[in-house]
Amino acid sequence: MDIVFSAATVNYAGRTALQPLDLRLTEQRIGVVGLNGSGKTTMARLINGLVKPTTGTVTVGGLDTVADEVAARGKTGFIFQNPQHQMILPILSEDIAFGLKNRGFGKVEIAEKTEAVLARFGISHLARRRVHELSGGETQLGAIASVLVTGPELLILDEPTNQLDLKNRTLIARTIAGLPEQVLVITHDLALIEGFDRVLVFHDGRLTADSAPAEAIRTYREIAAC
Amino acid sequence: MLNGLDIEGTSPLHRMPVRGKLIVLFVAAIVLFLTSDLRFLVPALVLAATIYLSTGIGLREAARRTRFVLFTVLLVAAANYVFHSLHEALAVFSRLSTLVLLAAAVTATTGISTFMDEITRLLTPLERFGFVRAADVSLAVGLVIRFVPEIFARYQDIADAHRARGLPVRPLSTLTPLIILTLKDADTIAMAIDARGFRRH
Repeated sequence: MDIVFSAATVNYAGRTALQPLDLRLTEQRIGVVGLNGSGKTTMARLINGLVKPTTGTVTVGGLDTVADEVAARGKTGFIFQNPQHQMILPILSEDIAFGLKNRGFGKVEIAEKTEAVLARFGISHLARRRVHELSGGETQLGAIASVLVTGPELLILDEPTNQLDLKNRTLIARTIAGLPEQVLVITHDLALIEGFDRVLVFHDGRLTADSAPAEAIRTYREIAAC
Repeated sequence: MLNGLDIEGTSPLHRMPVRGKLIVLFVAAIVLFLTSDLRFLVPALVLAATIYLSTGIGLREAARRTRFVLFTVLLVAAANYVFHSLHEALAVFSRLSTLVLLAAAVTATTGISTFMDEITRLLTPLERFGFVRAADVSLAVGLVIRFVPEIFARYQDIADAHRARGLPVRPLSTLTPLIILTLKDADTIAMAIDARGFRRH
């Protein structure tokens, strides 16, 4: 799916969070790195319309994220830094089903899809667990399942391995690598994006590098060393 | 009383439609406040306890879930004893405890999503008058139920942080960061609701 930024900028209360950005993303695996406050999360939130561009436009699959907000948002799934915050119902399977119910699916279809997505991520045994009792890795998988069950073409993950132990980090990295959906990952975990198709580096609200992982990571290391 | 703690089972209460349960609870609340006759209220309390235990919840779990509210009821009853009479205290205790146990029985036999669906259905007629958005109200109820344990856990973290620093755990110094952090979380949660497309207007 094409993601196109056309002279998109974002200002918050007089501060420029994102300098004019012209970019076309078509790759299956896209990494985004940068120091804290560099504009990478703002850029990602522009894609599903959580943040509106102050000037310019952003389109997802040809849909404008402002003019066609609901339809554009339907094409993208977003996993937040703390996925606990996006799980709205107390039981995992109910949370997954809730997303489908809001999209008008019938009871039988909801049950089938919920069961299928739990099985897809190997978490069927967690179906009736309370979400606030899930471990970090289980929460990430549950959040991914609850977002992908509605069938977005693009999945955006904001620091998905943040605060995970090595075992869960490996599990999430493997899960991301195996997703057939287009994926955009914001991360400080450089190993996670080593095999990606394209990596963007943001610094001070500006896109400063856009290349294959090895070169982009080198640029990021140079920025971080300053 | 709802906190996502419905228990799976096949008791008569599990099989009863959620609307029926809510109507019975509503009627019981009215009837219990129409009388102070202990010959009616005490058997009602026993019946409510029997209904609650018939859900298969087990005595220990039943007590764990209701003890805090029942303790509060006990305080209210004690106040009535001090300011009114023993009879009034017993009536208040029986009446409120009966309601607590009936509500807990509804909780134990009703899934939160089923409950939210029913709220949506019940409030939908009011949408025509522009009073409410039924789906928003049920979502709000779901959010409260979902995030109450999170808020308790956060309070515990803040209290632990105080103890770790050798500070006394005082209401002002714990509630202030709790409120600030909860409001900050609320922003993220609102954004997540939008991201997942739960509010489509």
